[in-house]
Amino acid sequence: MTTANTKKLSRRKFFQRGAIVLGGVIVATYLGRGVIRRFAAQLAEDMDAPALIANNESLIWFEILPDNTVLIKSPKIEMGQGIFTGFAMLAAEELDVSLNQIKVIHANTADGPVDRISTGGSSSTSSLYKSIREMAAYIREMLKETAAKKWSVSVFKVNTQDGILSSEAHKITYADLAKSTIEWEEPATPELRPASQFKFVGKEVKRTDLRPKVFGEPIYAIDQSLPDMVYATLLQSPYIEAIIRHMEIKEALKQLGVIRVIQEEDLVAVIAKNRYAAEKGLEKIRVEWDIPEKWQQAEIEKLTKVGVGNEVSVQKVGSAKGILKENNDEVFTEQYRTSIGAHAHMEPNGAIANYHNGKLKIIIGTQAPDLLRKAVASALDLSVDDVEIELTFAGGAFGRRMDTKLAIGAARISKIIGKPVQLFNTREQEFLNGVYRPQTHHVLAAKISQTGAVEAVTHDQATPDQIFAQIPADLGPTVFGADFISAGHGASIMYNVENKAATMWHNKLPIEVGIWRGVGMFANTFAIESFFNELAYKTSNDPIAFRIELLQGKEKINQRCVKVLETLREKSEWNQTKAGGIGRGMAICNDRKTISAVVAEVKVMDKKIQVVKITQVIDAGLAINPDGIRMQVEGATMMGITAALYEEIIIEDARIINSNFDKYPMVTLADTPKINVVIVEGEVVPLGVGEPPLSPVAPAIAAAVFDLTGQRLRSLPMKLS
Amino acid sequence: MKIDFIVNDKPISVDVDPDMPLLWVVRDELGLKATKYGCGKALCGACTLHLDGDAIRSCSFPVQYVANKKVRTLEGLCLNKETLHPIQQTWIDENVPQCGYCQPGFMMAAAKFIETNDNPTEEEIKSGITNICRCGTQPRIIKAIKRAVAIKQSTQPKDKL
Repeated sequence: MTTANTKKLSRRKFFQRGAIVLGGVIVATYLGRGVIRRFAAQLAEDMDAPALIANNESLIWFEILPDNTVLIKSPKIEMGQGIFTGFAMLAAEELDVSLNQIKVIHANTADGPVDRISTGGSSSTSSLYKSIREMAAYIREMLKETAAKKWSVSVFKVNTQDGILSSEAHKITYADLAKSTIEWEEPATPELRPASQFKFVGKEVKRTDLRPKVFGEPIYAIDQSLPDMVYATLLQSPYIEAIIRHMEIKEALKQLGVIRVIQEEDLVAVIAKNRYAAEKGLEKIRVEWDIPEKWQQAEIEKLTKVGVGNEVSVQKVGSAKGILKENNDEVFTEQYRTSIGAHAHMEPNGAIANYHNGKLKIIIGTQAPDLLRKAVASALDLSVDDVEIELTFAGGAFGRRMDTKLAIGAARISKIIGKPVQLFNTREQEFLNGVYRPQTHHVLAAKISQTGAVEAVTHDQATPDQIFAQIPADLGPTVFGADFISAGHGASIMYNVENKAATMWHNKLPIEVGIWRGVGMFANTFAIESFFNELAYKTSNDPIAFRIELLQGKEKINQRCVKVLETLREKSEWNQTKAGGIGRGMAICNDRKTISAVVAEVKVMDKKIQVVKITQVIDAGLAINPDGIRMQVEGATMMGITAALYEEIIIEDARIINSNFDKYPMVTLADTPKINVVIVEGEVVPLGVGEPPLSPVAPAIAAAVFDLTGQRLRSLPMKLS
Repeated sequence: MKIDFIVNDKPISVDVDPDMPLLWVVRDELGLKATKYGCGKALCGACTLHLDGDAIRSCSFPVQYVANKKVRTLEGLCLNKETLHPIQQTWIDENVPQCGYCQPGFMMAAAKFIETNDNPTEEEIKSGITNICRCGTQPRIIKAIKRAVAIKQSTQPKDKL
């Protein structure tokens, strides 16, 4: 029998979760641009990042396989964040199967729901937290309804456990029921189980992709091959904005294994039988470059400066600028800078392309499959439907895999030669022809009252576009004036100061720039938190107590910040006497509602800063997989140390001089401090984890260096004098 | 040039450019993809494998010098997927990999390290392996190596200690 509120369903249909749209555009006409920009900037700061799923018609997210396991096709890419593990845990909560009965794979554009924007912004788990459980619950109820009908029992008498449906004497596996069912019973939308009944969420769970990674299975794009595939390398200019004046390919063609050299106006590529020959062939192409301008580092730095470029207000409370202007001689002001950075992910960018009979297949680890699909279709003048993107695990990404250049290059090469081709960057190309984290310049100014309170504070920040440079959006430059989504992320001041203002100065660089792990928040947190550490020192306040005072308020976000700070004070043993030769400093950030705060302890040997201990407290809301959170915090901490102490792209004579890892040092085992991660759960839903814990690392280290040496280091990477 | 050598206990023969790095031979000629390309200049260690028992960076090692020698890649580190090498076991125990791309190189370097260091201090572990990982798995790699050392000590005959 079926319950009254069910209906038959012959095609599996699953729901969609809606997207959040920036609704402010229409209001712009009435409010004027300044207001709308601030409104939109604050909205972007607060919004729950949406998951926009492409191909929204009845595509299958979940499949029940003959071996009674459940396959989930993830619309988000696994690039190391551990999201596949969290997705499996969430689905298991409603599906009544064990974790090892669930396998999560990437959706492909041909057969699954890929994300329309990208995997990024620490949004994968939070954006799918509800929809994965909804779909899992729906499938469970559908199985139950169908079994109830088959057995002529009430659906309330059907139990589900470990992938088996049962009712008194009846028993059938999900797989057997799925196999024998043609017409499904569609249930009413089921209620989700409350958190109090969670069996997996909150437990310590090993990564579901652990074994393939420990056995070295071929899971990355660079490991894939197709029958008859050849290898290619792409000629790319080592100089900024250079074009080819003259080229000689004779020697390249003589290289053993080289099949041909493609020479089109905007595409020069070596095609070879193997990767080694393709690399050697490329080295043997002689090129004379026309270099339009011999850029030097000092000139590049001047391009990003407060006061240069388009000025956009993103925060205005009270009349901070007026107060500072009127009391010019009492204003305390400091400047901060962050360097240009590379992604330096371990698997260089690249793709496999197969163009055949007007159809194209790309195999790639990309953060933005839907955008890539459109870009490739447009570049090859194909219909989007004729382009298939097959996704693989990504060997690191950090924003670098928004790239479309190599997939388009591979597609064009495959079309020209009529064979499948693998095209990957060499490490040198990855460093010289990347898309960079842009430099930033910050000016902070404050007036302290007679009583020692912060009366007014302003933050002026200069940087080029970041995400706006990578996602084509007409809105960006015209309506919004600056990239508040990533460049302006964290530019506003969160502390309770009666008069505060934040301003972005939008400018350009001659190199390609874009997003990076927590990009804008990273630079803005370094500047603002460093400045507030200086204000605390200037007013003879303890930096944690100073912040707690400035974060008082009834709003939940304030209370969560205070809780994180109090936990940090306790867990870092902030009030205990330090060991000799140790400096200690702290910082906090609110990254789209995830609060993370750090105490860093450092020592200095031969002018080298060594981070010896990091205590990091994170409140990312509901902790789905606590060990997954710890992994992300540890990883973000290590990347934060690299950003604080080492990484810096340098330009000389129009060329990036950091050609490989020897000229772009990063942390190694030797730099690894003791890291203590403390998780606080201040919300009932999960928030982002991947990026937030990176941002407070550098300002905490800077404060610790000051504590030890008395030197204020206001530029990243930090260099002691 | 025809070159004979042994890979994961199996004799093989390849006919390739003698200057081709061992990395590309094992990956593209032999189809063993665990060994990774990272930098091409022996700087990052992603391509680490064992040659006659030593850990080497195969991206900068021409295959001609491998003739008649024994190569072991991550695919050949354990006998089978049930009998794991201590390094693979502790990599699982400590939940080490994130993106995972650099891990084969780290595991091969670590397998050699624990073989030659019976009772290393933390400082010796930290200076003994110079591979690069961008995801930031270093804290867990250190823990996993310590744990593998302990496994090795507990399974070794006493007279060898």
